[in-house]
Order: sequence, then C-alpha cells, then structure tokens
Amino acid sequence: MLMDFETALGYLPVLLDGLIQTVWLTALTLVIGAAIALPVAWCRNADSTAARAFAITFVFVFRGAPLLVLLFLIYYGAPDLPIIRQTVLWEAFREPVFCAILALSLNSAGYLSEVIAGAVRAVPRGEVEAARVAGLSRFSVARHVILPNAARIGLRAYGNEVTFVIKGTSVASLVTITDLMASANRVYYSTFDPFTPLIGAGCLYFLFVLLLGRTINALERRLSVGNA
Amino acid sequence: MDWSLFSLGAAGWGDELLYGLGITLALAVLSFLIGTVAGTLFGLVELHAPRPLAALFAGYALVMRSVPELLVIFLTYYAAGFVAERFLELFGISTRVSVSAFAAGVMALAMVQAAYTSEVIKGAVRAVPGGLLEAARALGMRPVIAFWKVTLPLAMRYAFPGLANLWMVVIKNTPFVSAIGVTDFIGQAGTAGQNTKHYFAFFLAVLLVYLVISGVSMIGQLVMERRLFRHVPTAGS
Repeated sequence: MLMDFETALGYLPVLLDGLIQTVWLTALTLVIGAAIALPVAWCRNADSTAARAFAITFVFVFRGAPLLVLLFLIYYGAPDLPIIRQTVLWEAFREPVFCAILALSLNSAGYLSEVIAGAVRAVPRGEVEAARVAGLSRFSVARHVILPNAARIGLRAYGNEVTFVIKGTSVASLVTITDLMASANRVYYSTFDPFTPLIGAGCLYFLFVLLLGRTINALERRLSVGNA
Repeated sequence: MDWSLFSLGAAGWGDELLYGLGITLALAVLSFLIGTVAGTLFGLVELHAPRPLAALFAGYALVMRSVPELLVIFLTYYAAGFVAERFLELFGISTRVSVSAFAAGVMALAMVQAAYTSEVIKGAVRAVPGGLLEAARALGMRPVIAFWKVTLPLAMRYAFPGLANLWMVVIKNTPFVSAIGVTDFIGQAGTAGQNTKHYFAFFLAVLLVYLVISGVSMIGQLVMERRLFRHVPTAGS
C-alpha cells in the first residue's frame, strides 16, 4: 500500500528533526523579514519621491524574482564577488543557513512591506488627525492609533504571508540544509519508499500551517473585539 | 562582466539558456492552462455539488495550498509512474510506465494551480449579484442557460485579476522543477555556472529575465483589465 506505518514510525524521529529545522527557519525568516519590511513600508508611504521609488523597486525585485533564483544567486553567486569572498562577509555567506534565511527574508519582506504599507494607509485619516489635535505626540499616534488599527487590518493578509514563508522554507533543502523536506527525501533514499516519508512530511507541513494560521486568526478575532 | 559567456553556439551558453527559457515558458503555460481549467471545474463542484463531494474538493484545495510546491513536485515525480501502473493493472494491463520529469512538473504545478484557481472562481461566482440571476430566471431562462449567459461572463470578469495573479505565481513556481532534473531556465544556468565558475553572472541573468517576464505580465494585465472593464464607468470618466 501507499503508506507503510512501520517505516513511518521508525523514521518519524528523522522527520521531526527536520520539522524542528523548518520551524527555526520559519521563525527567523518571520522576524528578519519583518525587520526589513518595516523600513521599506515606511519608505512606501513617505512623502519623498526617492524613498517611494526605492520601496517600489524593492517590492518589484523581491516579489518578482522567484525564491529559488534568489537563493541560488546568493548561495552560488555571491562567492564570485570579491567584496564577499575577500572580506569578513564570507564568514556569513559560506553558511547555507545564512544564505537561505537571507533569501527567504528578502522574499518575504517584498510581500510583507506591501501588506504593512497598505494596512497603514487604510487607517482612517480622521482618527489620526483627531489624535494629533487632541495633543498626542507623533510617537503616541503611531503607538496608540496607527499600530492597533493597522494590525487589525493587516493581520489576515499577514496570515497568508506566513503560510508562504512556511512553504518557502522547503527551498533550504536544495542548499544542503536538512529541513523537513530534505529529511523526507533522506528517508526515501534509505528505504526506497517515496510515499511514506513524503506524505508524512506533507502532513507535518499541513499541521504546522494549520496551527500557525489558527493562531493568527484567533489573534485577529481578539484584536477586532469592539469593532463590528 | 564577460558578455561572451552568453554568446550563442559552442563557445557561449546563450543557446543553452534560451532552450531552458523555452522549457520554463512551456511549463508555465501548460500548467497554467491545465490548472485553470481543472480549478474552474473544482470551484464549480465546490459551489454546486452535494456536500460530501464539495467537501472533498475543498479539502484537496486546502491541503494543496498548505504544502510546499517542492514537496508536491517530488511526490508527483516519484508517484506518477507507480499510480499509472496500478491504474492500468485494474484493466489487466501490466506494463512499466515512466513519467518524464517535465510531465511530472507540469502535473504538479497544475495541481497546485487548480487548488488556488478554485478559490478565485468560487469568489467570482459568489460576487455575481443574485438579482441578475433572478431576473434571468424570471425571463424564463433555464438554469444552465442563465449560468452560461449571465453568471459565467460576469464571473470571468471578477475572476480576471485573481487569475492574473495566479499566472505570476505559476511563473515564480517554475524554478522548483529543476529539483527533479528538468533542464529548465535555472537548471541550465546552474549547469553553465558549474562549467564556467561564473555562477553570479548566470543566476543574475536568470533573475533579470524573470523580472522582465513579471513586468511584461503586469503590463499585459493592465491592458487586458482595461479592455475587460471598458463598459464599467470609472471615477475619472
């Protein structure tokens, strides 16, 4: 039959080890991706034409470039450049994990910055003006008016983006990282049974996506309390 | 940069790269067309079929959208021959079936595309105003005719932006098939890089070509949307 439960149980620890790698890659990508996306989103809504042009170019490049191409350009291509090969940067770029997280974060930031910028633009202008008139400082307005509003508006799109990040981490398996995808392929090579490990890995990916998606949905509902 | 790397003929890698680009475009177009047709049917099944069947297709779409494309591609490649052999055995035919990496890649990307398309189609059909359908029925149109003459033309318009986005998604998913050995654009660039040790030049070229493809697609989308919605009054006109 397609699934062999004895293989599944015997190799489950291998898959779980891979899952841990995948969870790590996802977590780091979400954090670093957000750290890159925030300034880009700020540029996207800035008054300065140059800042907006930069943000639009950033989004066009990192959303338009396929993730795998970006990863291979960084992993295989970057060592060709003297500025990377002959400086301290090489210490980072020689690590497959660094390359994978850099590619994933840039790719994710391309999508995420648009989500953030769009959510901030969607905050009603009147509320911001009212808060300013009431004497709140620029920082307080950002902290107490724009942030909670924008989080509510952008969270659904963010949930989708998180799913794409989880799915995207599987490219790490193509640059020698033993994430869940690579672990599944490893079990296949040693058992000659492709179905059990790959379907098993598929189930684990599915559960991870479901769990994180549910968490974000719950958060969205919580934030929307009091907003019809 | 050394441009002779990209020259045609035996000296450069230009013709190999163009061949790979052709494979990539063929892969994208085929999987988009197959996936869109299948996904439209899936969406209509989810909307109109009896509950268990609709739930089955909804489950398929949910799983396909939650699992990495790369995994779907590997699984399809490993499983396609096996499944085809078992299927033929049902009819008493016992034979070896081998599925090419290209065919497996098209199948896998089409399966993913179908899952996303069914969501777009469901939304588009639901967006057709109910009053229009009631009017059509009141005029004496049978449900099939009303669907064909009223729901479908409108739903197609509503679905267009979503489908255009999915075309971009398909394009960006194509490089994954190089993992099962398809000699597509990025696969050829990898071979060229391996032989010349100029990975950066080749992968940068691949990235730029993908950006051109997505730029051209965006312009095409704008032009087609303007045509599709030409009868809809906009704020400016």
